[in-house]
Parts: sequence; C-alpha cells; structure tokens
Amino acid sequence: MTTDAPNEATIDLNAIDPTQTHQIAEFKHEIALTTIRVDPTDRFAAAGAEDLDVQLWDLESGDRRTFKSHKSWVRSIDFSADGNRMFTACWGGVINVWDTSQADPTPLQTIHAHQGSARFVRVSPDGKYLATCGNDLLVKVWNLADGKLVQEFAGHPRHVYGVDFHPGGKHLVSQDIMGGINIWDLVSGGHKQSIDASIMTGYDNKFAADMGGSRDLHFKSDGSQWASAGISKVTNSFAGVQDPIIVLFDWESGKEIKQVKSADDNVKGVAWGVRFHPDNFLIGAIADRSGKGELWFHKPEEEKAFHTMKLTSAARGLDLLSDNRRLAVAHADGHVRLYRMTAQPPSEEKTSEKTAT
Amino acid sequence: MRRNQGCNPLEHVMARRQFLGGAAAGAIGMGVLGHHAQAVQLKRQEKRILQVFLQGGVSQLESWDPKPGTVHGGPFQAIPTSVPGIHISELLPNIAQRMHNLSIVRSINIKSNDHEQGRQFMEKGRRVGDFPYVGAVASKYLTPADSQLPGYVHVSTRGITDVAGGAAFLGARHGQLKLEGVKPPGNLAPPEGVDALADAGRDQLRLQFNQRFVERRSKALTEAYDASYQQAAKLMSRKEMFEGRASKQDLDRYGTHDFGRYCLLARNLLENGAACVKVTHHGYDSHAENFNFHLEQLGEFDKPFCMLLDDLKARGMLESTLVVIYSEFGRTPKVNVRYGRDHWGTAWSVALGGCGIQPGAVIGKTNDTGTAVADREVDAGHLFHTYLQAVGLDSTADHDMPGRSIPIGDPSAESIKELLV
Repeated sequence: MTTDAPNEATIDLNAIDPTQTHQIAEFKHEIALTTIRVDPTDRFAAAGAEDLDVQLWDLESGDRRTFKSHKSWVRSIDFSADGNRMFTACWGGVINVWDTSQADPTPLQTIHAHQGSARFVRVSPDGKYLATCGNDLLVKVWNLADGKLVQEFAGHPRHVYGVDFHPGGKHLVSQDIMGGINIWDLVSGGHKQSIDASIMTGYDNKFAADMGGSRDLHFKSDGSQWASAGISKVTNSFAGVQDPIIVLFDWESGKEIKQVKSADDNVKGVAWGVRFHPDNFLIGAIADRSGKGELWFHKPEEEKAFHTMKLTSAARGLDLLSDNRRLAVAHADGHVRLYRMTAQPPSEEKTSEKTAT
Repeated sequence: MRRNQGCNPLEHVMARRQFLGGAAAGAIGMGVLGHHAQAVQLKRQEKRILQVFLQGGVSQLESWDPKPGTVHGGPFQAIPTSVPGIHISELLPNIAQRMHNLSIVRSINIKSNDHEQGRQFMEKGRRVGDFPYVGAVASKYLTPADSQLPGYVHVSTRGITDVAGGAAFLGARHGQLKLEGVKPPGNLAPPEGVDALADAGRDQLRLQFNQRFVERRSKALTEAYDASYQQAAKLMSRKEMFEGRASKQDLDRYGTHDFGRYCLLARNLLENGAACVKVTHHGYDSHAENFNFHLEQLGEFDKPFCMLLDDLKARGMLESTLVVIYSEFGRTPKVNVRYGRDHWGTAWSVALGGCGIQPGAVIGKTNDTGTAVADREVDAGHLFHTYLQAVGLDSTADHDMPGRSIPIGDPSAESIKELLV
C-alpha cells in the first residue's frame, strides 16, 4: 500500500505553483539583452540587446535567427496575435515590422515614428493598430495596413517611457519619466484623464537630474487594472541606488491600488517587467544594482510577495507564455531563460538544463 | 522639486571675501603686468576664456567620439556636422550645426579614473603640486586694466570646493569667485536700514581709516582694498547682471532652466571683462542609466551652450574668446549591468574653439571600440599649454613671480601645435 510510486503520482506537474519556479531552458546571445517578448502562440521569444539586432529563438527547436535593420538598440517588441508579425521599436525612433517566417529577415515596413527614441510599441487588441511613444513627448497610433499615422496625442511634458492599449481597445495608457500617466480616448481622439504617479520618479539632488518612468506596462486581461514597473525612492540614481517598484492602478477610478516593493530592503535597482497571472497574482522581474536579479510573485491582497526567486543575472524584461506556466526573462548576461512555475519532475531535478544558442 | 542650492550663509560671506579679493587682484595684477618686462608674452589684450565643465565625466561615446554599432557604442547614433567628415553624437544636434566653430581632441589619456585627480589635472595641467588653475592664470594675465569684475568667475549651483579658488601661489585674488547660480555674491547690498547716504558715510569712514593705516605701511594693500570696494559698488549698481533679468528673447533662446540662465550670465560676465568664466553643468557621473541621463543632461546642455557660442560670435568676441568644453575624465566604453558607464581617463575627448584654435579640426583618435588612444595621445598637460597659447600667453615661460622661477605650464608637456592657429 505504501510504495514510492503513489507519492510520485500525486505530483501534478501542471499545477501552477510559483514557489516551485525553476529554470527549464536558456537561449544565449553574446550581448546583454534589453527587452523580451514571446509571441501569443508561444512559438518564438524575441529579445533586443545592447547591439543593433533582434534575436528570435524558436522555443521548440532552440534555433535562432537574427533580425538586422535597426541602427540603434531595440527597446520594445510586440507580436501579432498569430505570431506571424513582429514589431520592434528602437532608440533611434524607428519601428520595424517583420515577417517571423523569413529565413533571412528584412523589414516589411519601417516607420520613422519618433524624433529621438521610440521606447515602446504595442499592438491593439484587434490587431489593426500599433501604439508607440517616445522622446518627442508624443504618443502615436499607426495603421498597420499601410503604416500611416492615425492619431497623435500630445500632453506629456517629458519623455514618454511606456504605452499600452486597454483590452477594451478604446483607450491608451501612457506614462512618462516623471511618472505622469495619461489616459487617451481613441474614439474621440482626446485626453481622458491624468494620473499622478510621481511615486515612480525621483530627482537626484546631488546630480540634478530626474530618473523614473514606466519600464513596463501591462493590463490585466479583463481590463480592470494595470500595472507599471519602474523605480521609486531615488537615493543616488547615478549609482543605481533606488527602489524597484511595481504600482497597480484601478482602471475605473484611475487610482493607485497598491505599491509592490522588494521584501529585501537591500535590493536596489529597477523593475523591468510585470505581468498579471490569471490565477490572481502578479509577477515582477527586477534588476538589482549588483547585477543580479529577482522574480517577485505577489498576491494583491497580501502585503509582501509570497515568493521571491533570486536570479543570477539582472532581469531586463519579462513575459508570460500563453500556457500560463512558463515565464521568459531577458537577462543582462545575454541569456533568455525560461522558467516554469510548477513542480519540477523528479527525473529532471538533477539533469542539465536545455541550452540553445 | 527644489534643486540643491549647496550653500549656507557662511559661504555667502566667503563668496564676498572671494569677490573682494578677486576684485583687488584686477588692479594689482594688471599693474604688475604693465610695469614689468616679463617672460610672459601677451600678444594682445582683451582675450578671455570660457570653460564649460561637464561635471562627473561626460561620456565621449555619447558626445565627441561616437562609435555607433560597435560593441561598446551604446544606443545613440552619430550625426554629420557642419564640417564634412566630422560626426558627433546625435545628442548634440545644435553643436553639430556649429562644428565649424569648434574642434575636438579625441585622444586624451590622463591615466587616472579618480574624480579629484582628474579634475585637478585638467585644471592645473599638472598631476601633482600646488599650481594655479587655468582660470587663475587667465585672471592674472588676461584681466583688462579697466575690468569691473574679478578675473575668474565660476557659475555653479553646487560642486567641489577648490582650495584658494584654484589660485595657488598667484594669490587668492586670482582665485575663482564662485557664484551660486545667477545670484550675486552675498553681502553686496548695504545692511538693512542703511540707506545710500549712510552707506556713503560708512565708506568715507573706511577711507579715513585706510589713510591712517597707509601712513605707516605700504600703500599696495589699501589701494587693492580701495579698488575692491569700488568694484563692489559698481557690481551692486549692476545687480541685474547676476539676477538673471534676461530679456524674454534671451530666455526663449537660452531656456529658463538653470543652465540656460548660467550661460546668459556667462555671456554678461565675459562681455564685462571677466578673463575666465567657468560654467559647470552637473550630472554626468552616470554609473547607472548612462544613456537616459546623457539624453537628459546633454539635451539641456546643447542648445544654451550654442546660444552662448552664437552670441559670442555675433558680438565679435569668439575670435578673442577661447571656449573649452571639458570634464575630469570620460566614461568607460564597456556598459555595466546598470546601463551605466564608469570612470575612464584612458581614452576620451574635449571640445574647444574660438580664440587661437584651428576650427573644424579633429586631433587624435581612439581605436575602433574606444578602449584606447590609437593616435596622438595627449594629456591635461598638453591641453593646459594649448589653452594658454591659444589666448596668446607663452605657457613655457615662468610665472610673473619676482624671485621665483615657476614655469606656467608643465615643462614636460607641450601644446598641441597643430590645433593652434
């Protein structure tokens, strides 16, 4: 009756349990990564880096293709719903549209979207439009069919760091370096609301400079909340001494719901990624100033993260795969690492991780 | 938000003392220069120096020596300038249009990554020793006889204190008068309740004391103090120069932020006879977020500086004003894990132009990845000689110090001759 077999059989390897998160694969690039996005079909992970290229890995085979065209670092990436199109935004202000099936990729479209950096690109829920933002203080909406500008929103006084569509498709949220958030009405073309999130910026008295802004923006799938990842409590920004933070906002009221910070006061750096999990917890990806990182797992109703996973290299971006079990993290050491939020099969616990280059 | 004003009442008092000392120096210094057939050869009067100090160490890769697309190049692109073949960072678009007025030295190796060592070397042209800063040398030898201002003025909201204002053995009167932004030196105005008549009475009393004092001593000291008081009075009557009462047109061009106002004040000071004006723009020590910070800081620096350059040129002053943009060192080519660049004195750049400088030149170069000087290595000693020779001073001569033989520039270095007109 009491054998070992039944115990193993009781382990549900598909049960989501963030406390059991473990690395299952890694994909190597030679240069520090800057961002990551996984396509909605879970076929590809794409990463920008501290070079001019985009690396696209086939998550099944590990094969890598390099997408060359940008003349600056790629800061943000998104995919079409079918994963066949990839959209990349670079510090040079350019948005490129790519066919992910091409063996020798060249851009299908190049949009000179912003004067100065294009910091964020996101596809609309209906797949017809792109939203971008940048250092020209503008938020723009582009028609994907012809690459033409559809709408332009002005009102941010400083560089705009992040933008995303509300899942309802009728609004945009954008945030600038000073933490200022604007909600834009895509139907009327007007400004709907301003929200003060100055908790997410800091002025360094010693160096007389501002630091802040959204480093990642993400909506809950039902549109009831959004989260912004960034920094707070700047002490010495030039040395990277500030608190990483994720702030949750309520869509209806526009009010801040919660501030999520590290459980460890010694962790100083930047929150570079945030995702809502359907099981009602939040995932954050952190770069500590030491060069190491953290993954935070946080339930909205709880004060502190219920689990923190230490990372050997700083996180520069985060995405949640559509199976809701795997996370993709871009690291400062040039690796994309896949983590699985389930128990690890006993047979795999001592085996080496899958590595691809 | 409130900027760190970086001062206290005591510093205001010190500022006044510095001012008074500096003002006195104008009278004495030029008097000495005018009466001695000294080694220092001043080719022409009315030359001056504008120093723009990018405090903390501006990144050469994000400014004067961009290397886009290379392993350490960073995210910014290089843009063409008004000089064919010269490209600088896209973060300096206004300067790019005026590159024909400037030149770049891309091959500096000061062999130090330390803020204080680098700063002292860049100011003194010597690695060690108590030698005067460039500005103090300019104060001593370039200050016009009729100048109503101290010779060496530093406009900065905050920063590192300079011992004796960088004057060393030239005397405190040649040390920098440090202005707290666009505010005048403290204590210039008469005390509260003292009207003009009463103030005149106070001054008359001071003169009487001086008369009694001088009867038993050398007149030099009291003459110097008399001159300083006279200059203080003149300065008080022109407070608007310090208070930044700039025209709307000027503010539209320069900007209303601190650095724009500093540049406007620098223009006024140079126009009014200051031999050396140093303007510090803070915030380049970017060990983290180097790219965002350079975007912000150079974005603030580029246009006001260019407006100042334009105004100097429009007033016919550029050919008699040496303009130097410098730091204490550059920043590492390698980007660290915080998106920062660290201290790097090994291979970096300065830009300079105006008086005595060949315009539109690039001196030296770094290797393809920016990690080392590849051609025409120079250091701060070479730059020191170059600055002074550009304004007509023989930097190889001795200082005008009776009984002492102190070379103005480091004898082991020489000027960058190909950069001089």
